[in-house]
Amino acid sequence: MSLVVDRISKSFGPVRALDGISFSVEPGRIFGLLGANGAGKTTTMRIVLDILRPDSGAVTWQGTANAELPRRTWGYLPEERGLYPRMKVIDVLRFFAALYGVPDADATAEAEDWLERFRVPEYRDRKVEELSKGNQQKIQFIAAILHDPAVLIMDEPFSGLDPVNVQLLKEAFLEMRDRGKTLIFSTHQMEQVEELCEAITIIDRGRVVESGPLREVKRRMGRQVVRLAMEQADGAASGAGLAEAERGDGLGWIEEIPGVTLTRRGEDYVEMHVASGADPESILQAALARGDRVTRFEIADPSLEEIFIERVGHRAIEEERHLAGGRQERDASAAESAQEEVAAR
Amino acid sequence: MKRLTWITDLFPNAYYVARREYLIRTRSRTFAILTIGIALVGLALTLLPLGIRLIGGDKPSRIAVYSTLTNLSVDPATTLQASLNASSASDQSGSGSSGPRYILVPTSNPASAKDEVSSDKLDGLLSLSRATDGDIAFDYFSKDSPTSQRLALVRQAAGSLAVADRLQRAGVPAADRGRIFAPTAFVATPADPVAARRNQDQFVPSYILATVFVILMFMAIQVYGNWVAASVAEEKNSRVMELLISAATPRQLLFGKVLGNGAAGLTQYLVVLVAAAVGFILQGRLSNALLGGSGATTIPGVTPFVLGWFGVFFVTGFIEYTILYAAAGSMVSRQEDVQQIAGPLTFLGLGGYLLSFLAINVIDAGWVRILSFVPFISPFFFPARIVLSDPAPWEYALSLALTLVGILGGLWVAARIYAAGVLLYGQRPTIRAMWRATVEQR
Repeated sequence: MSLVVDRISKSFGPVRALDGISFSVEPGRIFGLLGANGAGKTTTMRIVLDILRPDSGAVTWQGTANAELPRRTWGYLPEERGLYPRMKVIDVLRFFAALYGVPDADATAEAEDWLERFRVPEYRDRKVEELSKGNQQKIQFIAAILHDPAVLIMDEPFSGLDPVNVQLLKEAFLEMRDRGKTLIFSTHQMEQVEELCEAITIIDRGRVVESGPLREVKRRMGRQVVRLAMEQADGAASGAGLAEAERGDGLGWIEEIPGVTLTRRGEDYVEMHVASGADPESILQAALARGDRVTRFEIADPSLEEIFIERVGHRAIEEERHLAGGRQERDASAAESAQEEVAAR
Repeated sequence: MKRLTWITDLFPNAYYVARREYLIRTRSRTFAILTIGIALVGLALTLLPLGIRLIGGDKPSRIAVYSTLTNLSVDPATTLQASLNASSASDQSGSGSSGPRYILVPTSNPASAKDEVSSDKLDGLLSLSRATDGDIAFDYFSKDSPTSQRLALVRQAAGSLAVADRLQRAGVPAADRGRIFAPTAFVATPADPVAARRNQDQFVPSYILATVFVILMFMAIQVYGNWVAASVAEEKNSRVMELLISAATPRQLLFGKVLGNGAAGLTQYLVVLVAAAVGFILQGRLSNALLGGSGATTIPGVTPFVLGWFGVFFVTGFIEYTILYAAAGSMVSRQEDVQQIAGPLTFLGLGGYLLSFLAINVIDAGWVRILSFVPFISPFFFPARIVLSDPAPWEYALSLALTLVGILGGLWVAARIYAAGVLLYGQRPTIRAMWRATVEQR
C-alpha cells in the first residue's frame, strides 16, 4: 500500500492553488515533487500532513485517511526553516520528540547519534541562534526524523547547504530509505532528483503536468539525447573535431540527418536531440564516414532539467534560477562560471 | 463520544508545550524582576497599617483642659477623659486597639496650649469657665472639622459634665447623679445582616481586598495575555510554527501555551501571597516591638477559604482570557502588530474591570449577581462577591461551571482561528478574516 493523493483541490479566496492533484508514492521509495515557485508544492505537502484540509479530494497512507493517522506517521521539514533561537539544540530536539511521543532518554540518545553522524556533536549544548543557517538546517532535519516517521516530507531540503552537507544529507536520505521509510521532497536542483528519486511528479499552477517513475517520464518525452566528441587525425580535439575556421556551418552535416536537432555546441562535446523515429546510430555512422576518430558517443535520455523546462516553461525556470541565485552561494558560483563560459565564447 | 476526544487529546502534548513555555518564561530576567517587584509591593501593602500607626494615624487624641472653675466636685480633666474613652469604646467595639483613645491633660497656660494646637502637638484645648447664669461655659479650640467624630464626642462629654454640675448645684446626691449617667441598654438589630457588615470595621478591609484582587486580575490578564499573544506571533515570525503545527494539533499548542503561562502567572500569585504572609507575620512582631502590647493586626476577611477561591477564579479567569489572546497572536506575524490585534481584548478585560468597581459598591444588586455568572465578567465579579457578600454554595458551582464552559467554548473558537491564523503570513488581520477562519475549513 502506498501514499495516495487523490484529486485534491484547494482554493485560497479567489486563488485556485491546487486543481485536482493526484499522484501516488510507493513505500520505501524516494519521490520528487517538482514545480516552479508558487506551483502548489508546499500546499500539497501541507494537505498531505493534514495541516491544511483540501476543498475536495483525499489523501491516504496505507489505506487510512490522513486525518485519522497519528501525527508521528509524518516527519516534516518545512521550507521556511525555524527553531526556537534561544533554546539549546538538545532541548529543542527533545521538545519536538516529546510532542511526537518519544521518551526523553530515547530522544537524547537518538539525537546525539544523529549529531555525530552530521559531524556536529559539539553543538549539543549550544543555543540554536549561535549556529549557522546550514547547521540549523541539519538540526531541523534531525527534529523531523527523531520520532522515526514512516513518511518523511521535506520542502527544499538541500537549499542553503554547502556541497559537503548536501552529501551528508543525501547519505541520510538513502539510509532512511534503506530503513524502509518513504521520502518525499521538493527541490529546484534537478541533479539531486536524478540522483535520488525513483519517481517524480511535476506540478505547474496547481495541476500535475508530469508524473511517474523517472525512467518512464524520460521515455515519454519521445526522444533521446546523443552526446558526441571527435578528434581529428592531427590530434586536435574539439567538440566535433572541427577546425576553428570551419566553425558554424561545419556542423551542418549533423543537422542534415533526419530527426536530429543540435542543442549544444561545446568545445568538449556537442549534444543533439534525436526524435523517436530516428536511429541514433546513424549519427555515429555519419561521423565515422567523415574519417575522424570518435572519442565519445553517448545515447542518453533527456535530462530532468530539460523535461522540467519543457513542461513548465522557460520563463518559470529562469525565474527559479533568479530566485535561487539570490538565496544560495552555490548557485551564485554557478552563475559566475556561466558568465565565464559566455566570456570565453 | 468522538466529539469529546478533542478535549482528551489535549494531553500529553499540551503538557509538553506548557512545560517549555513555563521554563522559558520563568527563567527570563523580566519575569524575575517583575516577580520581585510585585512581591515587594505586596509586602509593603501588608505593612502599611503598621506604618500608619507608627506615623501617628492611630495615636490617642491629646486634649488640654484649662479650667478656672473652683467650686467643682470632680477634676474636669479626669472626668472628661473617662467619659470620652467610655463613649469612644462603645462606638468602636472590637476594633482591637488597646489603651485609651483620649488623653486629657490639665494646663494652666492656655496661650502656649493654643500654640501647641496650632503646631499639631495637641489635638485641642478645652477651656472651662462660669457663665453669668452659673452654668459651665466651654470653649473648644481645635483644628477639628465641624462634623468630626472627635468634636461630637468632646461636645457630648462636655454636656455630661455641665449637666452633672447642674445636678450638683441643685443638691442631687452624688449616688443619684451616678445613676442618671448610667448607660442605657440599647441594641441595634440590622434588618439586612449582609448590608450591616458594610457599617462594620470589617467592610473596609474586605473592600480593599476585593479592589486589590480585581486590579491584580486585570493586570495579570493584560500582562500575560500580551505575553501569550507575543509568543505566538514570535513563533510565527521565527517560522518554528510550521514544525510545531505538524507535530501537534492547534488545540494542543494553544492550550499548552495558555497553561504554561497560566502556571507562570500562578507562580507569581503564590510569590505575592507568600510575601503578603511574611508581611503579616512581620507586622505582628514589629508592632509588638515598636508599639508594645498586643498590636498584632489581622485583616478580617482574609481566610484560607477566600484566598483559595481567589486562586481558583484567578486561574480559570486567566485561562479564559489568555486563550483568546493566543488566538489573536496567531493572526499576526510581527511583534509590532500584537498590540493592535490584542486591542479589542484589552477592552473586554477593561469592561469587566471597570464594571467591577461599580459592582463593589452595590454588591447585592440584581445585575451584579447575574453578571457574576457570565463568563469573562465572572472572574472579576464573583471573587468580589465572596468577600463582600455571601454567595450560596450553588452560586459558586454555577459561576465556576460557566467559567469552564467559557474556557472550552473559547478554546474551540480560538483553535480554529489559530489553525488558520498560524499559516497566514502578511495578511491584514481583519474581523472578516477571523470570521472566515472560524467558520471555514482549514
